[in-house]
Amino acid sequence: MSFPAHITVLYFAAASTTLGITDELVPIPEKGLYLSQLTELLIERHSQSSLNTLRKILDSSQWSIDAEMVDDEDLTKVELKDGMEVAVICPVSGG
Amino acid sequence: MLPPGSSVEGVVELSEAVCSISYALDTVESTIKRVSDDRFGAIATFIGTTRNSFQGKVVTKLEYQAYTKLALKTMTQIIVDARNHTPDFRAVVQHRIGVVGVGEPSIVIAVASPHRNEAFRTCEFILEEVKRKAQIWKREYYEGEDESEAEWKSNV
Repeated sequence: MSFPAHITVLYFAAASTTLGITDELVPIPEKGLYLSQLTELLIERHSQSSLNTLRKILDSSQWSIDAEMVDDEDLTKVELKDGMEVAVICPVSGG
Repeated sequence: MLPPGSSVEGVVELSEAVCSISYALDTVESTIKRVSDDRFGAIATFIGTTRNSFQGKVVTKLEYQAYTKLALKTMTQIIVDARNHTPDFRAVVQHRIGVVGVGEPSIVIAVASPHRNEAFRTCEFILEEVKRKAQIWKREYYEGEDESEAEWKSNV
């Protein structure tokens, strides 16, 4: 089955160091995939990486869509759509 | 590994504030000039620099990345929030990305306001909010450790 829609996932900091990439195009179904389900999808895509580390990082991260933060309690309500830019926001350390 | 394509330089100019992310910082003197105005009697500045140690380990350098377009949005909102407490101030907030060596500055905040109380308070408020929320990450490299093992820090 090929997915007709794609999102761009951006990785920074620990997420990008663990995966060895800074971004990727992820195929998604046109409808019915919610942000809360993205962690599992990404873990499946990267099953050759150190999974425990990746899962820990994704579980401790927040998410943004098209450069707007998504509240943790809204993850199950946000449906992923073609063209979205989704970023994994690990705990920050600026300043 | 190359830094993320979204970790780039960027500037947001608001009315009475400028927020920027860049590989090099302006001089403190030019930053002070930018916030100065005859209606202000106080200018508070904060400069964050790279310390040479962390928990007994010798730090050789720091590296910063940002999700720049979101970090700048966040910094903009922080300025807006600061104005809820203190309407009258002018500010410059600059954060570096890339490698920052020991003793070098990574962030500069300058706030000018009529009186010293608001200048100090607003400068501190902006700093603490940037540390809490801005989508910027710091990686710390230690002497004697392989660079690939360097950890990304968390402010939490």
